[in-house]
Amino acid sequence: MDFVDIIFVVFALIVVVSAFIVVFSRSIIRSAFSLLFTFFGVAGLYVLLNADFLAVTQVLIYVGGILILILFGVMLTTNVVSVEIKTGTLQTVPAAVIVAVLSGTIAGIFWFTEWHTAPAREGPTTKALGTLFMTDYLLPFEIASILLLVALIGAAMIARHERGTEGGR
Amino acid sequence: MESIQAILNNPYVFAALMALAPLLWILPYALFAIWFERKVSAHMQDRLGPMRTGGWHGWSQSIADLVKLLLKEDLIPAKSKHGLFMLAPYVVFVGSYAAYAVIPFTSAYVGSEINVGIFYFVAVSSLVVVGILMGAWSSNNKWSLFGAMRSAAQIVSYEIPGTLAILAVVMVVGSLSLQDIVRAQEGWFWNWFVFGKFPFLFIAFLIYFLCSLAEVNRTPFDIPEAESELVAGYHTEYSGMRFAMFYLAEYANMFAVSAVAVTLFFGGWQSPFGTFLSGPAWGVFWFLSKGMGFIFLQMWLRWTLPRLRVDQLMYVNWKVLMPFAFVNIIFVGLWMMIAQ
Amino acid sequence: MSKQKLTAAGGTEPRSALLQALLDKDTMLEFDDPLGSDMVLNMGPQHPATHGVLRLLIRLDGETVVRAIPDVGYLHRGYEKLAESCSYHEFIPHTDRLDYLSPISNNVAYVLAVEKLLGIEAPPRAQYIRVIGAELSRLASHLVWFGSMAMDVGALTLLLWTFRERERIQDIWDILTGVRFTTSFARIGGLAQDMSDESAQMTKEFIDQLPKNLDECESLLNKNRIFIGRCDGIGILSKEDAIAMSASGPVLRGSGVARDIRRDEPYLVYPELDFDVITFDGCDSLSRYYVRLNEMRESIKIIRQALEKMPKGPVSAQEPKRVLPKKERIYTKMEELIHDFMLINFGINPPVGEVYHAIESSKGELGFYIISDGRGHPWRLKIRSPSFMNIQALPIMLKGGMISDIVAIIGSIDPVMGEADK
Repeated sequence: MDFVDIIFVVFALIVVVSAFIVVFSRSIIRSAFSLLFTFFGVAGLYVLLNADFLAVTQVLIYVGGILILILFGVMLTTNVVSVEIKTGTLQTVPAAVIVAVLSGTIAGIFWFTEWHTAPAREGPTTKALGTLFMTDYLLPFEIASILLLVALIGAAMIARHERGTEGGR
Repeated sequence: MESIQAILNNPYVFAALMALAPLLWILPYALFAIWFERKVSAHMQDRLGPMRTGGWHGWSQSIADLVKLLLKEDLIPAKSKHGLFMLAPYVVFVGSYAAYAVIPFTSAYVGSEINVGIFYFVAVSSLVVVGILMGAWSSNNKWSLFGAMRSAAQIVSYEIPGTLAILAVVMVVGSLSLQDIVRAQEGWFWNWFVFGKFPFLFIAFLIYFLCSLAEVNRTPFDIPEAESELVAGYHTEYSGMRFAMFYLAEYANMFAVSAVAVTLFFGGWQSPFGTFLSGPAWGVFWFLSKGMGFIFLQMWLRWTLPRLRVDQLMYVNWKVLMPFAFVNIIFVGLWMMIAQ
Repeated sequence: MSKQKLTAAGGTEPRSALLQALLDKDTMLEFDDPLGSDMVLNMGPQHPATHGVLRLLIRLDGETVVRAIPDVGYLHRGYEKLAESCSYHEFIPHTDRLDYLSPISNNVAYVLAVEKLLGIEAPPRAQYIRVIGAELSRLASHLVWFGSMAMDVGALTLLLWTFRERERIQDIWDILTGVRFTTSFARIGGLAQDMSDESAQMTKEFIDQLPKNLDECESLLNKNRIFIGRCDGIGILSKEDAIAMSASGPVLRGSGVARDIRRDEPYLVYPELDFDVITFDGCDSLSRYYVRLNEMRESIKIIRQALEKMPKGPVSAQEPKRVLPKKERIYTKMEELIHDFMLINFGINPPVGEVYHAIESSKGELGFYIISDGRGHPWRLKIRSPSFMNIQALPIMLKGGMISDIVAIIGSIDPVMGEADK
């Protein structure tokens, strides 16, 4: 086994094991923290695929942004200090049916799709990505940024509104 | 001898050695910086600071402290979440240590010469926040939780103008690699970006420096561990070796952000006098001494200024630094277009 | 959490319904919080910024204080009760330990009350020395406050600078009273000893260099935007509230009420000295900060005048049955020996009656209320301590502030728990 393969296996194990903890842990906070390792493992897999920019973006956005947002959400919305937050198992039978159907579909897609494989491209991707964003994919890129901007303004408005009512009470 | 050579030639062993090399700097540096901070604060306050341990000006005080912390009982609060509580200091340290992978200590050595270097630095330093939140939440203490909330809000917010300031440099150089950025500042010290591209990159430097203070929780942005308000903030419940890890991470982080400031704006390992006293070995010297200059600046500020309140902190970030950073970027862009 | 009954008294022992209702009126933190978004935080008695052992129970919405309840008594030593079994002389050392930052003030306040009860007066030189001592202790106390106020908002260096100045005051006390900290300097009808030329010279040198050093200390804060931003407009205590809460001293004058007992109900030789009563009407932490800062300069002025005007003469009143004689005379003179024996064993036996005398100490109105039944020790002694009264105003000041403001507000009140808890 090649050294790179070993690293791949390590990363893959990190991703899978921590993802399992995310799903099966009964404490939401514990799940959120295992998500950290999942995100990192995925970033590692990106590196192995020569997608350096993507890997760093993964860390920046998911670990530095989304994970912290999740932690904030969990910590702020509930009484973390006094009450233990647990996730329970509900609706076992319908859940099992849906899971079976979904995994069947995914397995089917895996099985029947013709995968186009190409050798990994060496070298930096940042410049190529940037050029593509500014040429072929300019419209989706701009639409995505406007969408984010709208969401940002919306969030600010909601926060402002809440603060106003609080001041009034 | 040959076998050692053969082992060193093995790329994986070599990679492992390269990965461990920053530790050779961080550990003695942290011991020195802790002693130095005590001396700086003492002399600012009309005191002498530690004078006894080891003889000359108490030089081995931090070694003694380290031994004490190592031998101290590892207290874990009964009602904490044990696993996360024990893990958190190491997550914080991993966050600050990982940043060292891309710091170019000299022309010949950088842990990992990746072409997204500075971007990587920005990304991994956010890991520190997760560690802080982890430690604070798991200690099951309200003061810790407040500290962590403040810390997360602060670091996440200040990352944005900080990154925008970095972006200005990246636009000028046209590369994310830290070595490329250093090489772009070749020559005498007026070629350094802080002086060379006046005033745009000077403004960028100021913004970056302020944001880096916030990122490492130093005064006037030390509200996450504000001792007069939150006792000790997120590490209130920690003691012994785990507390030492937080401390080590803080000092490692201090140098990491200083190193990036040096790299981006002060010519990195370049000699201030052109080719005079340059070369890989002198490069290490220049790099470290510039970095230590910033460390001293951070200490100076810490022992002079009061700290901001949470809302004032956010005000500074969103209403002062952000607009300046954005306008600066636009001007750098315009200037780049005109210059070409 | 919202269902929990949280009171400052905190105990679980059963109380009478009436007592509980009275306690609840001021100390309940329980009210409607259906979402459970509020948090109750216990600040102190072990906390780096509560100036000793002040405990605060705070109900927070995010970082904003919804309600705060101060809880005192962690340094309670029962001095008022203790006084009932002390002779009048024996109680003097206990007064050192009330506001331990300005011991001479406390000594002077107590002996003035006793002297008023006895109807005697200390000779002029003693009065001048008492003024100098009291003003020095005001300076010492304000210097400590100055440093710790700066430390509360995060500027750590200033504390050591002001302590350096305070150290010089303690050196003066060392020469003046023989002790650096717990001076027990005043005696009923006079002083323990005269002010030597050396201590007068030291005092003069000290007040000559202090303004320059104060300027240096102020330069760190007065034009510092962060400091001003931290103190401006927080801890608002309106004029009416300040009076209603019986605040006194710099807290009251920071709310724009020009009341200073040194001028309004003069005692000692204050009428002969020229000084201004400093008031600021910002009603916030910053005003109280400026009041104390400027008061320090007034104190320097007072000390300088007192040193100049101080006459020669004895420092103990000629009241052999009231005033303790000098030790060397006790050993050599029969009459003094008898008086000493009587005074130590049976006390000074003041006439039956009650008396209240207050002075303007560094924290505010420090008053002693004494009831005498004609015996050698007080029947009842009540201490009106300014810190205790000023802490009463804390809930008003804290409401609506943030956690960071709490420390800046406590710092601006400058409570000394030894005095508040008595």
